[in-house]
Amino acid sequence: MADRMDVQQGTLALMILRTLEVLGPLHGYGIARRIEETSKNRLALNYGTLYPALLKLEQEGFVKSEWGLSENNRRAKFYALTAAGRRQLARETREWHETADLIAAFLAPRRGAS
Amino acid sequence: MRQLRVAFARIAGVFAGSSADDDLREELRSHVELETAENIRRGMPPEEAHRQALLASGGLTQAVEAVRDQRGLPRLESIVADIRYALRALRRSPGFTAVVVTTLALGIGANTAIFSVVRGVLLKPLPHRDGDRLVYLRHSREGAGGENITFSVPEVRDLRTGAPSLAGIAEYSSWSVIHQGSEGAERIRVGLVTGNYFEVMGLSTVIGRPTGRSDDGPDAPPVAILTHEFWVKRFGGDPAIVGRQLTLDRRPVTVIGILQPAPFFPEQVDALLNMVNSDHHVGASMVEERTHRMTEVVARLAPGTTLEQARAQLAGVYARLHRNYPEAYDPESRYRVTLTPFKSVLGERARLTLWLLMGAAAFVLIISAANVANLTLMRGVRREHELVVRAALGAGAARLRRLLLAESLVLTILGAILGIAVAVSGIGLLTSLAERYSPRASEIRLDVVVLAFALTLSVLLAALLSFIAWLPKEGTLAVAISTGVRRASGGLRKQRLQRALVVVQVAVSVVLLAGAGLLTRTLIRLAEVDTGLTTEQVLTMYVPLLTRADRSNPAAEAVAKEQYEHMRRELAALPGVVDVGVGSAPLRPSEVVWEVKAEGGAPAAGSDPPRAEVRSANPEFFRAAGIPLLQGRPFASTDGLVSPGVVIINQTLATRLFPHENPLGRRIAWTGDILRLYPSSGDWRAIVGVAGDIRHGEPDAAPRPAVYVPLAQMEQLGGSLAIRADSNVAGLAAAATRIVRRIAPTAPIENVMTLAQYRDQALSPRRLNAVLVSSFGMLAVIIAAVGIAGVLGFSVSARTNEIGIRMSLGADPGRVERMILGEGVVLLAGGLVLGVAGAFFAVRVVKGLLFGVAPHDPSTFIGVAVLMAAIGVVACLVPALRAARIDPAIAMRAE
Repeated sequence: MADRMDVQQGTLALMILRTLEVLGPLHGYGIARRIEETSKNRLALNYGTLYPALLKLEQEGFVKSEWGLSENNRRAKFYALTAAGRRQLARETREWHETADLIAAFLAPRRGAS
Repeated sequence: MRQLRVAFARIAGVFAGSSADDDLREELRSHVELETAENIRRGMPPEEAHRQALLASGGLTQAVEAVRDQRGLPRLESIVADIRYALRALRRSPGFTAVVVTTLALGIGANTAIFSVVRGVLLKPLPHRDGDRLVYLRHSREGAGGENITFSVPEVRDLRTGAPSLAGIAEYSSWSVIHQGSEGAERIRVGLVTGNYFEVMGLSTVIGRPTGRSDDGPDAPPVAILTHEFWVKRFGGDPAIVGRQLTLDRRPVTVIGILQPAPFFPEQVDALLNMVNSDHHVGASMVEERTHRMTEVVARLAPGTTLEQARAQLAGVYARLHRNYPEAYDPESRYRVTLTPFKSVLGERARLTLWLLMGAAAFVLIISAANVANLTLMRGVRREHELVVRAALGAGAARLRRLLLAESLVLTILGAILGIAVAVSGIGLLTSLAERYSPRASEIRLDVVVLAFALTLSVLLAALLSFIAWLPKEGTLAVAISTGVRRASGGLRKQRLQRALVVVQVAVSVVLLAGAGLLTRTLIRLAEVDTGLTTEQVLTMYVPLLTRADRSNPAAEAVAKEQYEHMRRELAALPGVVDVGVGSAPLRPSEVVWEVKAEGGAPAAGSDPPRAEVRSANPEFFRAAGIPLLQGRPFASTDGLVSPGVVIINQTLATRLFPHENPLGRRIAWTGDILRLYPSSGDWRAIVGVAGDIRHGEPDAAPRPAVYVPLAQMEQLGGSLAIRADSNVAGLAAAATRIVRRIAPTAPIENVMTLAQYRDQALSPRRLNAVLVSSFGMLAVIIAAVGIAGVLGFSVSARTNEIGIRMSLGADPGRVERMILGEGVVLLAGGLVLGVAGAFFAVRVVKGLLFGVAPHDPSTFIGVAVLMAAIGVVACLVPALRAARIDPAIAMRAE
């Protein structure tokens, strides 16, 4: 528990969008579980982080929300990707890969050294 | 684009209200239920499952708050709640609130008041159309009186043809005429202007018409345009005055319009007349002589022209004039023309004083802000507990910050409101100060910009205050709660900040005090200046009996002479009156300054002949006014028109013209331009006496050369009555005025005041200046003293426990007292060193306002340091004594 990381705001948006793309419309609890599982429980997501992020994505027009019934027949609010959300996900994924490559190149051990 | 969308969504979110909140709660509840169900599925007992689900949420209230923050703008109700909470918190500590609000009110009030003057006099756009395109042309030359010699009509003509970068050139001459009104006569200041004046200046009339080209020339009918101020003051703003005739210098002049309110340079005027109103200004000499300079010039830059282009072009024109008319521009005197924006010219005399006051006020604000910051820090430390509890109950850092901001805002805005009240009451006083320095004083008011200035100050201060206050950091909460946060230490960093603030306060106070000390010493020196008069128990009143039209009219002169004689006889009969004389009023500079030469002596090569004030005096005048005669005799009643011309010169002129000789019996004559005006004025006049130097004019100026002429030989100079009594001469004013009015009912009577009153009045702007800076200085010292006492007192209460231990281990009260005192003295000493060093540089700014005292005057600096140190030590003593009285038993039990 002690070494769980707090998730960063920018990356959280990306994770949410990706989760919705993979699993389709999902409620907040499902999104949180999925992210925690995918991170092998290294990330902790509390409501105060998750729900403002969802609201922000909705305000930006990347997701839309709707009340529905969960798999075990409980009322829950489901979030789904919009067309703009898909485009945003593609863009951010590309940018993220580029950044990751760049950082990886920087951090790679220097050739010839030691 | 995305930001915009979010902004709209958030604005819409403001109106979402409680339904959105319900929706969110519902969503969060479903989240908890889903998680609980999942936990049960994994085998937890239901209650444990629910508890774990809640634990994982990280706090439902916090989540609601966080989502709300994202949903809308800071909500109005939460702002109102914050402010209500702030008011409640402040009501609980009325002492703190009162001190902070008062301190801020003084700081903000002083700044608002001074800023309103700075804005009105220096910054506000001119009321003239495109006023920033107006430039003032200044013609100057080397030597005394050469700072602004104005232009001659031929020079203006050359500027017009040679400098197309100046779209229009308006001519303006200061002049005065006697206005014969229904309530008696008065002298009014007027400007004689060319027809294009209003067009060039961009001024229009509120009623009637301005002058035009048809009003130029010697054959145009005389017309007047009244200034707005004069129209309201004299005619009660009656529009029917337009079209009527006024009697100016005994001639009818038609009023054709009322001007919009506007400032004039070099001084405010009552009316603007076309040139034909002065025979002199349409006379051949004025129009043709290149060196007959009486015209001020204001021009409008042509569209698209910059000031620099105009300057360059003007320099070219002027170089050509120097070549073409070498006789008019003596190269030794370095004639030159400078171009200055009209707005800066209007503000030039006020600028130094105003920025000085603005700086002093800013210093007061810095000190007040430092004090309030200190108080807030201390209060913040005492409130740590409360803030920690709030954070524990779910208030995020942003929420707490907002709460503190609301509290600071309430404080600073209360301060600003009170400060504006302070400013309103001070603005009248400041306007009367500004009137002495600037023609724009009437534009001073508390307008929107000034109010915005005060508001901005208070918001900035609030932001600053809420920023420095302590906030529990997220993550440190547990530590804070577990320790109970009862210790009010505030941490080392915070204490260091408090101490630094105290040092700054002391330093800034020292700088202000140094400035105040120098200005006060200047004032004392000025008041001590020996005017040269043997007595000041003299009442003077200016009673000009001849208008310009009467000059060189022997009949009128005879009447005037008889009237003066009549007044003299009757005034001498008043009880207590010793002497009555007629002559140019002492201590006031004469407007008549002519070049003078000595018979048989040529002035040293390359130097201009001396320029001397021409002053009139009748035989009794020297005795009555108290002007000492060093040599020779006063004028006699036999020194009349038919007898040879005689003069009495002052010491300065005697030394200048006859350095090693006895001037008595030598002869002098006027020379230079004046001969073209009055050819007979070149006659030789014998010196019959030498008078002591009198400081006519500014008390800090060196005495100017002066020539006294018998009133009988130059009646047109007119004069003041000088009435000397053996006691209480001021009490004679009413009786004397009655006598004069009865004898000369149509003559204006001006400046009825004793010489002592006149001196007082001449010093009043400087006195006000010194008083203002001194009160700022004292205010600063008091605030700084409160600051020191506060910080030390806080330190004492924070260390009560420690002091208790020390005392129980054997430290006696004296030792504790010395310890606390020492703590304060270190701060004080730091502030003093910094302040004296700062003052050393800062006093350069006031150099131009000093007289008789060096900017680095050691005794002022020492005095200021001693004063600050003394007050500072007293301020330290209060908490030190309190520390010494701590009872160790009680102190240690308290923790």
